[in-house]
Amino acid sequence: MPPERPTFSESWYRVESLRPRLRSTLQTYRQHFRGQVYHVVQDPTNNSFFRVGPSAYHFIGMLDGQRSVGQVWDRCNERLGDQAPTQNEVIQLLGQLYASNLIQAELAPDAEGMFNRYRKRVNREIGSYLMNILFARIPLLDPDRFLDRWVKWVGWFFSPIGFALWVCVVGLGLYQVVTHADRIAMAGGLLDMVNWDAEGLGLLYLSFIGIKAIHELGHGFSCKTFGNRTHSGGEVHTIGIMFLVGMPVPYVDASSAWAFRSKWHRAVVGMAGMYVELFFAAIAAYVWAITGQGSVVNAVAFNVMFIASVSTLLFNANPLLRFDGYYILSDLLEIPNLAQRSSEYFYYLVKRYAFGVKRAIDRTQTPTERVWLLIYAMLSTVYRFFISIRIILFIADKFFFIGALMAIAGIVGWVVVPMGKFVNYLATSHEIDRVRTRAIGAIVASLTAGVLGLAVIPAPDRGRAEGVVEPVRFAMIAMGANGFIEGYLPDTSYVTPDGQPLIVASNPELVAQRDQARSERDKTYYELQQAMQDEPSLQQSLRQKLEALDTKLGHLNEQLASLTIHAPFKGLWVSPQIESSKGVYLDRGQTVGMVASDGDLFIRAVADQRLGPRIAHELHEGAQVELRVRGVPTEHFKGRIEKILRAGQTELPSAALGYRVGGNIAVSKDDRDGKTAVEPFTEVHIRPDPEAIKALRSGQRVVVRFDLGQRPLGVQWYRSILQTLQSRFRI
Amino acid sequence: MTSASLPTSQTVSQPQPIPSGLWRTLSRSGVSVKQPTGVDAFWHGLVGYFVPLWPRRSIHMRRARRIAELSKKYVNLSDARMNEEVASLRELFCREREKKSDVDRAFAVVRELAKRELGMEPYVVQLAAASAIEAGCITELATGEGKTLVATLPAAIAGWRGRGCHVVTVNDYLAQRDAQWMAPLYKRCGLSVAAVQGEMKNNERRSAYLADVTYCTNKEVTADFLRDRLVMGASKTLASELVRQVTGLSRGLTGGQLVMRGLECAIVDEADSILIDEAVTPLIISGGGTNKEQSDAFGVAAELARQLERGKHYKVDFKYREIELTNAGRETVHGLCEGKAGLWQGARRREELVRQALSALILFERDRQYVVQEGKIVIVDEYTGRVMPDRTWRDGLHQAVEVKEGVEVNAPKDTLARVSFQRFFRMYRKLAGMTGTAAEAWREFWQVYDLPVVTIPTHRPCVRSYNKDRVFVDAQTKWHAVAQEVRKVHEAQRPVLVGTRSVAQSEQLSRLLTEQGLSHQVLNAVHHEKEAQVVAEAGQPGRVTVATNMAGRGTDIKLAKSVNEAGGLHVIACERHDSGRVDRQLFGRCARQGDPGSVSVYVSLDDELVVRYAWQWLKWMLGRIKADDAGELRSPSARRLFHAAQRRASRISLRQRKSVLKHDDWLEEYLGFAGRED
Repeated sequence: MPPERPTFSESWYRVESLRPRLRSTLQTYRQHFRGQVYHVVQDPTNNSFFRVGPSAYHFIGMLDGQRSVGQVWDRCNERLGDQAPTQNEVIQLLGQLYASNLIQAELAPDAEGMFNRYRKRVNREIGSYLMNILFARIPLLDPDRFLDRWVKWVGWFFSPIGFALWVCVVGLGLYQVVTHADRIAMAGGLLDMVNWDAEGLGLLYLSFIGIKAIHELGHGFSCKTFGNRTHSGGEVHTIGIMFLVGMPVPYVDASSAWAFRSKWHRAVVGMAGMYVELFFAAIAAYVWAITGQGSVVNAVAFNVMFIASVSTLLFNANPLLRFDGYYILSDLLEIPNLAQRSSEYFYYLVKRYAFGVKRAIDRTQTPTERVWLLIYAMLSTVYRFFISIRIILFIADKFFFIGALMAIAGIVGWVVVPMGKFVNYLATSHEIDRVRTRAIGAIVASLTAGVLGLAVIPAPDRGRAEGVVEPVRFAMIAMGANGFIEGYLPDTSYVTPDGQPLIVASNPELVAQRDQARSERDKTYYELQQAMQDEPSLQQSLRQKLEALDTKLGHLNEQLASLTIHAPFKGLWVSPQIESSKGVYLDRGQTVGMVASDGDLFIRAVADQRLGPRIAHELHEGAQVELRVRGVPTEHFKGRIEKILRAGQTELPSAALGYRVGGNIAVSKDDRDGKTAVEPFTEVHIRPDPEAIKALRSGQRVVVRFDLGQRPLGVQWYRSILQTLQSRFRI
Repeated sequence: MTSASLPTSQTVSQPQPIPSGLWRTLSRSGVSVKQPTGVDAFWHGLVGYFVPLWPRRSIHMRRARRIAELSKKYVNLSDARMNEEVASLRELFCREREKKSDVDRAFAVVRELAKRELGMEPYVVQLAAASAIEAGCITELATGEGKTLVATLPAAIAGWRGRGCHVVTVNDYLAQRDAQWMAPLYKRCGLSVAAVQGEMKNNERRSAYLADVTYCTNKEVTADFLRDRLVMGASKTLASELVRQVTGLSRGLTGGQLVMRGLECAIVDEADSILIDEAVTPLIISGGGTNKEQSDAFGVAAELARQLERGKHYKVDFKYREIELTNAGRETVHGLCEGKAGLWQGARRREELVRQALSALILFERDRQYVVQEGKIVIVDEYTGRVMPDRTWRDGLHQAVEVKEGVEVNAPKDTLARVSFQRFFRMYRKLAGMTGTAAEAWREFWQVYDLPVVTIPTHRPCVRSYNKDRVFVDAQTKWHAVAQEVRKVHEAQRPVLVGTRSVAQSEQLSRLLTEQGLSHQVLNAVHHEKEAQVVAEAGQPGRVTVATNMAGRGTDIKLAKSVNEAGGLHVIACERHDSGRVDRQLFGRCARQGDPGSVSVYVSLDDELVVRYAWQWLKWMLGRIKADDAGELRSPSARRLFHAAQRRASRISLRQRKSVLKHDDWLEEYLGFAGRED
């Protein structure tokens, strides 16, 4: 059913005889969107834009101040037939043009109306500032002349040569980061490398301002460059301050790029900020790599690198937020106002199919467009929701008060106000007059389904904890005698008692001692032989001496033999430092490594305070758990709980479970080993099933999934929210 | 849509200019009459909840007693002394120096004068009503309590203030009658009074509006306002006229070209029907418009429509009164239009025309939505059963109906100016109203007009007895039961008034009564010539009168002496209306001024109210319940069904009226560039 477009309007008489025209200073540009020609009407004096479709353009094109609106409308109907705008559409179009100050007519200006519109606009802007603290903007300066002066020096950067240079520099930077990845990994991720104390924050903020200023200038210059090249638009008249999550950062209004005819030019202007930023990030990466840790230069370089890459990719490039990436995407997809239209389309679907509004108007034109809109609507809603929560939690973590304020603002802005509007819509909208019962029914039904699903229908309740695989039997391998290491088996090799020796050491002194002892014994032996014939009285003492020497020799031989160490049993040879000990002299008794039994493993899992008590309370020994090897999510095994150590511990079984090396447990900063947990935890011993034992290796990190029975999702979430609040804010 | 045509001849006589009036007219025209939005609307709505809590009724009653006490002082005053009193009051009010006690004194004086001049002394309740009107309320005063007299008290005060006062009624006859009736009183108060009549010329109108108190109808006053607007042209606000005068663009606008002198004070009689029921239909001043091509098009469209088949080519939605063309229908229309030129080539236009033609054929029934009088289509207000000779349907529907009935097709006229009563009445600086039924609509009066509602008790206790609603399974059983009841009451020598919803129904009942040999009178849009006579005789013993609900409103049914003893007038309502107010208006026909009277209501599951607004499941269930032999449903839930449907209908129509208002505001904003309309 086509949307209702009545031809006539009751208010037509009020515009029929007007003879308006577009103001003479306006410029128009053609643009193509999804095969349709649109015209952008621009007022160069205040950089306001107005995009009109083909038939509307046809209409306003004919307004020349001589013809009346009525005449033009008749003419349009003759020419365009059904495509011609209806009277209502004309009234709306003229109203919008008038409100944007784009047309003039022989009328006395409606002063009150103008003031009303102005007041309304100001109010709306203030309202949007308050509602959307993420995007509040305050214009400050007009940078147009500055940009004009400098664009000839900088403009080449947006040319192919500039791009080649950019590729080189960014490549180099990337190389630096990759080769120094261990430094980042060692510190436990990027976020933890940022200094969150006051001084560090100040530095971070300054770096941020700097980098964002450069970003914005990138937009400004690229806009100028293409404006000059194509002789259309390219004015940049506003530079100002924008509040990004309450933090003032610079912005540039490069909206005149909308007038460019090539969408690729528009896209480049959109990307210019990130382009410049990544360039500087690459340089900063290089500086960071070659300077020593701890210096201010290093810190600034790191900040710049961090902001210009991470924030750029996370925020600016992300089309799901309303930053550069969004505009680029919407332009490249040729769907202007992507976000607005996607939600419009989504509402249309709801109205049409859930509420059964027969007259819901679908403004989309092609199936591909519909697919894009739908995908965007879903992704952006989900993403915005999560990113908001993440930002709020993150900030709340660092600054409780601001975080709480933001959370309240967020809840009001994103939950309460839209809900209120929606309820109001359901109660009073005319669109759903006829299907109100069904609409409310649909909403109530889906809410009920949701609530039932969450609060009543049980879902598996599971907890996860990390653990390390450890052998049940293992032997510490120590030097049997002092000696120089000569040969060894590499770390983590499989060993058997009759295979290659683990360690082959030498001790020339011991050899010399043995040789000496041996010759002494030989000598004593001959003396004894002689004495037996010659002097029987000496026989006794010599025999004793020989015995003593034999013992000594045996000892020495034993010692020498123990310089070659064999595996005590079949298993895995673990000796991380062995590589560096070749030729090193080790004392007797010094540990060189260990051999862990291979066929018999168990897991020491560490459950934090959220999970630990629940395991202790709800599970018992023998309960089955599921095991997954970290990094290999496809394989999973079974195991049983062997023992639950209820007493809270703080010493981790392995540093691998701590934050510092990528584990999940927060470890104390004072502890160099990274094995002391900040909060006590519950340790659970798990015995894997035989087949798991075959696949697991000791020392591996595994994720243990505890099955805590069935519980509705709502209950699970409620608990987890409570726990989050409790643990984060000690409420 | 009411339409009054522009006077063809502009009689140019130059009366004395009234610059201050013009100034006021211009300066008032910029006043925003917008509905509050957002938080303001919320606050306004919230305040609305507290409005009825204020004990207005007792405040005004107390004040009325005080005034009655005060007026005793004047009983013995000579006429000359009274004149002095009037003169001093007039000066006081003219200079706007009055205090609250002066208003009391004024009421007391007018009361005494009314007794001397008209022989009617306003009762305490009437004084209370007057005081409420003066305070700017909608005053609910039971029918027959003398609203005409009540209006004179605040109108006299407004007259003394010197800026005119419009007493707005529903028809020319009432305006004329009331003005003449009350003229001696006004004259005695030193005030001139005039009534504006439809056929008046411009200069007559001008002098009528110059009178201190002007009786007029809502239609006339609004049309005059719009005509003045047209005369003013672009000079719609004081500022723009001053600018035009400075720049020499002014056409020399003087008060002399205008008919009215600004909207100062209005007292609206039958406030609910004027301010609510009729308020959303805009009044339109139209002129010209004889487009031969267009009027022919309607004929062609009707021809096309007759070739279409229901179900196959189009679907009918009776609930919302809509026609929808199916794809097959569209194609057929397209095929039929091949070879036709002009507007038949565009799908949108031709489908609009065909849909209109189909609506006219299927959804609009003769004697229900319209009647044919003297070769013209005359709309019947479904709400009230009244003929609306000046109304036309819009968007070519009227023409489509004309084609259907084979009468002369009048081409749609060009709109010159347009305003809805809602907007118009909100432009008065002081607005008050009185009616027999307002309480149900208090929220709307508050939300739209900022007017609180006060219910004034009756002078003598009301002895109207209500019988329980009787619910029948279908229309036929209902009509039989109605006829039976009519016979019963008739035989008891009491007069009966049977109210029906539509002309067709009244004719149907009339036939049934004739079959049963009951003599009766029919009063409806078709038989309205003897209206006054029929109403006058409706109070005779054993008289049976069948009327559409609102016929003869404003005139009393005078009861014969013997009737009172027999139990007074009996009113039978054959249907419940969309609005409870309309029901009450009908009930108010009986048991006036302490007379006895009784009411019974007959409804059936076939009634439009339940068909359109009731919960369908409950209706379905009731359909299953076994009715008794006479087809009557005695379950209380059956009555509940009707009440719920009525509530829902009122809610929906309130919502519709508010949306019209919102749309008006929106339009005003969008059309800012085309100049203000009001």
